[in-house]
Amino acid sequence: MGRIRRLGRDEVGADIRALFETFLRERGNIPNMFRTVAHRPEILSSMLAHFRAIMGPGTVPVALKEMLAVRVSRINSCDY
Amino acid sequence: MAKQLGVGDEAVSGLKDPARHPFPPDQKAALLFADAMTNGPGQVPDPVYTELRAHFSEAQVVEIATVVGLFNYFNRFNNALHVEVTLMDPGVLLRRVEEAAATAATPSERFDRVAGILKEGRRYLRVDVGRGTHLPAEASGAGGAGRGAGALTVPIAVKGKVAGWISVESERAIAADDEERSLLSRVAEILAAGMA
Repeated sequence: MGRIRRLGRDEVGADIRALFETFLRERGNIPNMFRTVAHRPEILSSMLAHFRAIMGPGTVPVALKEMLAVRVSRINSCDY
Repeated sequence: MAKQLGVGDEAVSGLKDPARHPFPPDQKAALLFADAMTNGPGQVPDPVYTELRAHFSEAQVVEIATVVGLFNYFNRFNNALHVEVTLMDPGVLLRRVEEAAATAATPSERFDRVAGILKEGRRYLRVDVGRGTHLPAEASGAGGAGRGAGALTVPIAVKGKVAGWISVESERAIAADDEERSLLSRVAEILAAGMA
């Protein structure tokens, strides 16, 4: 059980709802972490922009970045 | 997610212990840098950094360090606040199962693809989708109750007779979860429709 209640689509403003819809379309879910951070919409929207800037296409292959994310999450015992 | 981006099963399994897996030198350098930056307060030894720099430009090193930093941030947030693993939305999962069932070339491909969708979308530890007129022995009893709280089996029924099964195991206590059972039963109905 999460310590903080995660927000649903009906509990967030229009901007965050649009971000949620994009996740649902692209990956089939809205990550629980982002539903949790949604309690602070300004932090969530900048977090997602930062996430995309780092994990999207850049100077390092996206597949290697995914491998690094999996490795770090494994070390931290976090089921990414 | 990593697998969707073309990272093979072998590489994903190598991530359990990158130092011993034969990754290409650039990938290994990045992974060992990630380990050094993640274990402890992030004091990366000079030889680890030098090896990384031998393969990547300054801009690339910055990008790699931000990936490692971002996931340390996310992992710690999730661990501290007990944020639960995210499962695929049931509606989206059923849509994907329907698509896979409709486009698979052979029955065995259909079963394999559906098993893959279940494993990825619901984070099951094990998924077995099989054909036969009897449920697997270990699944006898209501939903495989004998196998513990993390196991669940539903029959695939064609014209009222058992024609196969979906058997899953999870770290979550799914045996008594009505939502999980009803979702798997819907998947079983979709598979049954293709066998009728």
